[in-house]
Amino acid sequence: MAIVTLLARGNLLIEDVPGVGKTTLAYALAKATDCAFQRIQFTSDMMPSDIIGVSIYNPESREFEFKPGPVFANIVLADEINRTSPRTQSALLEAMNERKITMDRRTLVLPDPFMVIATQNPVEYRGTFPLPESQLDRFMMQIRLGYPDLEYEKRAVADQSGFALIDKLVPVVTKADILRMQEAVDAVRVEESVMDYLMKIITVTRNDERVRLGSSTRGAQFLLKAAKAHANYAGRDFVLPDDVKRLAPSVLDHRLILKNRHVGSDAENVVRDMIESIPVPV
Amino acid sequence: MPILYKSLTAILALTGCVSLLITGEMNLLVCIGGLSIFFGYYRFFMNRAQASKRVAAILAQAALFVFLADALVITADVFLAVAHMTITFQGIKSFDLKEPWDHLQVYFMTLLQLIIASELTRALTFGVIFVIFMVLLVTAMVLSHFLKEGTLGRVRIRRPVFVIVILTMISTMLIFVVLPRTPQRFIGKSHVRGIKTVGFSDRVDFGSFGDIKLDQTVIMRIELDQEVSPPHYWRGIAMDSFDGVSWRNTAREKSRLLKTGDEFVIAPYDRTQVVEQRIYLEPIDSDVIFGLTKMTAVNVDTFSLLVDDASGITMPGKLSRRIKYSVRSDTSGSSKGRTEGRYLQMPRGMEQIISLAKSVTGGSLSDAQKASAIETYLKRNYAYSLSTSPPPVGMSVLDDFLFNSKSGFCEHYASSMVIMLRGLGIPSRVVNGFYGGERNEYGNYLIVRQSDAHAWVEALINGQWKRFDPTPAVAVQKPPAMSHFLDSLRLQWTRYVVGFSSDDQKEIVRTLASPFTMKALPRLRFPSFKTVILWSLALALFIGLLYVVLRKFRFRRYGFVTRTYLEFRDLLRKKGLKVTDAMTAGDLLRVSRKGGFGIEAEEFLKLYETHRFGSREMTDHVRQRYKALLKKLRTGKRAEDI
Repeated sequence: MAIVTLLARGNLLIEDVPGVGKTTLAYALAKATDCAFQRIQFTSDMMPSDIIGVSIYNPESREFEFKPGPVFANIVLADEINRTSPRTQSALLEAMNERKITMDRRTLVLPDPFMVIATQNPVEYRGTFPLPESQLDRFMMQIRLGYPDLEYEKRAVADQSGFALIDKLVPVVTKADILRMQEAVDAVRVEESVMDYLMKIITVTRNDERVRLGSSTRGAQFLLKAAKAHANYAGRDFVLPDDVKRLAPSVLDHRLILKNRHVGSDAENVVRDMIESIPVPV
Repeated sequence: MPILYKSLTAILALTGCVSLLITGEMNLLVCIGGLSIFFGYYRFFMNRAQASKRVAAILAQAALFVFLADALVITADVFLAVAHMTITFQGIKSFDLKEPWDHLQVYFMTLLQLIIASELTRALTFGVIFVIFMVLLVTAMVLSHFLKEGTLGRVRIRRPVFVIVILTMISTMLIFVVLPRTPQRFIGKSHVRGIKTVGFSDRVDFGSFGDIKLDQTVIMRIELDQEVSPPHYWRGIAMDSFDGVSWRNTAREKSRLLKTGDEFVIAPYDRTQVVEQRIYLEPIDSDVIFGLTKMTAVNVDTFSLLVDDASGITMPGKLSRRIKYSVRSDTSGSSKGRTEGRYLQMPRGMEQIISLAKSVTGGSLSDAQKASAIETYLKRNYAYSLSTSPPPVGMSVLDDFLFNSKSGFCEHYASSMVIMLRGLGIPSRVVNGFYGGERNEYGNYLIVRQSDAHAWVEALINGQWKRFDPTPAVAVQKPPAMSHFLDSLRLQWTRYVVGFSSDDQKEIVRTLASPFTMKALPRLRFPSFKTVILWSLALALFIGLLYVVLRKFRFRRYGFVTRTYLEFRDLLRKKGLKVTDAMTAGDLLRVSRKGGFGIEAEEFLKLYETHRFGSREMTDHVRQRYKALLKKLRTGKRAEDI
């Protein structure tokens, strides 16, 4: 999913309990793709300048000089994004959506490829600022890692190497490769009926009685992009209903607001339910 | 341009041409250019380049020249020439379909063709074609609208098309019912060609009956208001003068009859005594009014009738139209007559026949006995045959029949009997008409065909004309029930569509008003239990068949790739696996693995995905493989065994 998001020029939100490998995933992705990687650990006392950078007066040149912040990287891991103030959050989210930063009447373009991987902990409620819907909507996908299989977990626990192993990762693609792949994703074709299927899913999220707020148009755009990326990732140059169906929960979950906190059915289940009720084009 | 729209244009163009062809009036040689329509639409479907404006213009001019030649020389009928030209133009147009406007031209041309065809035919087939045309045209119009809007494929069109078709049908029907009827046609002369009949003009030649006895063309359909026991003789016209070769009607006193009240009264009658016959006469080349003897009143939509002194009724100015009329006949009565020279007239050289008549009636005393004796004699001793050869040189037709070949058909019998009677001094005449007719149980009416044409004898006995039929009965072959059913449809068509008259309009108004007048409720006939069972069985069978057929054709709206895929989906379902419509091909793969399907399923689904969503055409080779995979999946063998 992380790769799909990267290919689709999207941003990823990982929501899960601490210690299941969110950071490791982001780090590994950056390493394997030969990209500049920056990690920002969010805390409640962070300021926007801590992320995008700051202009400092240079006495020698008698000018303000911009010192780029950690956001100037290809892959930015925003760890525990819900722990900082909304002001700082929005600074990052603006950057990630527009891919440029305006400061002191200067516009600075962020490097390409650019991707934000944000993580948040669902269980820590104290001292957190949950992301508002409008901010959530800007993430292409929200995924959960979940606990690994017992077998994998056993191996991971037994393995002592930890981060050292990731450090040893050799880049398999270059930045230029990723850009080329992103272009290839744009060229993926979508058959009319698949497009209809996608729109049908979006429409259903808006009309379902369990949902108070359905998917936005951006949600539909992201779903299409993600499906295209998934198709490309699978080595196809056309989108299958399968791609749409597989990605819909990840892309749509965090955009829906349920009514009355439906007991026993969180957004993920609702989305899955909906998809299982929509006939696939044949 | 969607394939659906293309096919609609092609089918509409064909519909127009077919509607003209079924009239049977087209000179095929003149409109042979229309054949190019097939090639034109083939190219159109293959997306080949369409003809340039210049080529189309040159072809159109050539067609115009043909039209001029056609109208002035070949058929010498402008109306038919226009019909021929539209067919040729449809052919030309099929090469020149570029803009949406071109399609509209095709529709317009088809409309023109249907209008022309409606003037040329009254056949049931035309009605069917017209309904098809209407449905197709509405669909095409709706499609072209959405095409123009650029929303085709994004909106559902089935419902609007359905609603518009229904509305069009209803309004057409309303207009049809309400439109004022005039007794005469508006435009030009009639182009409906009559059925050539013989025997109902002023003159009948021998041998002419032989051919028409084999002709199964329907001449008329008759509804009776009460049962009349057979035999049914539908009297036409009487012939009195024989010159040895042919019979003529020399009646001089033809009186013109005008309407009294609703009908033409020929003789006063008692309403309870008469049988009413409603006759739907096909367009035949004769103006004779047929009916059971003795006709007392006729109700027909005309200004005057002519009645001759031999009770023959003709309708002047009938031309070869299809008409509907009703006749009231007093079947027990017979018309009075008096001895006239023309009923005793005979050509020379009949001495042998007269002596035969005398020997046959040897012991008889009265005229009635003599006539019966001759009738019986002819019936018993002569063979009925349609294949008669011309008489030997120097021998008359009747001599040949009576003394030489001893075989002939009704006209021989009737002529012989009349001559024999006249030889004995009994006034008599030959009567032409139709005999019998087969009962159609679907509409409870009689069908009278060309082959039922008949000739019999009327002899003046004690001042009354009595009927004798010396022709022996011939076994007739009963046509299958299906043809009866179709024929009853044809009668309904003639009755309620072609022949829809101002009387029918009045009738509808009356029926609509009847609940308010509280007149007697319509009689309800309760069908018997057995009929109900039979009908419900038939209905159940029909629905069952429909279900099977629809199931079979359910996938037809999909292409080959999807159809085959759906078959596979059904296969999984049959194996008891849980398959829903919300499952993608990928989901099916997982399900099929659970069901024990192996790599064949994977390859099959991969082919499906690639060709369904990857917009790639299947090559023949892949097609074979795709089909073979499904077959193997079905039989459970491995694909490699192929």
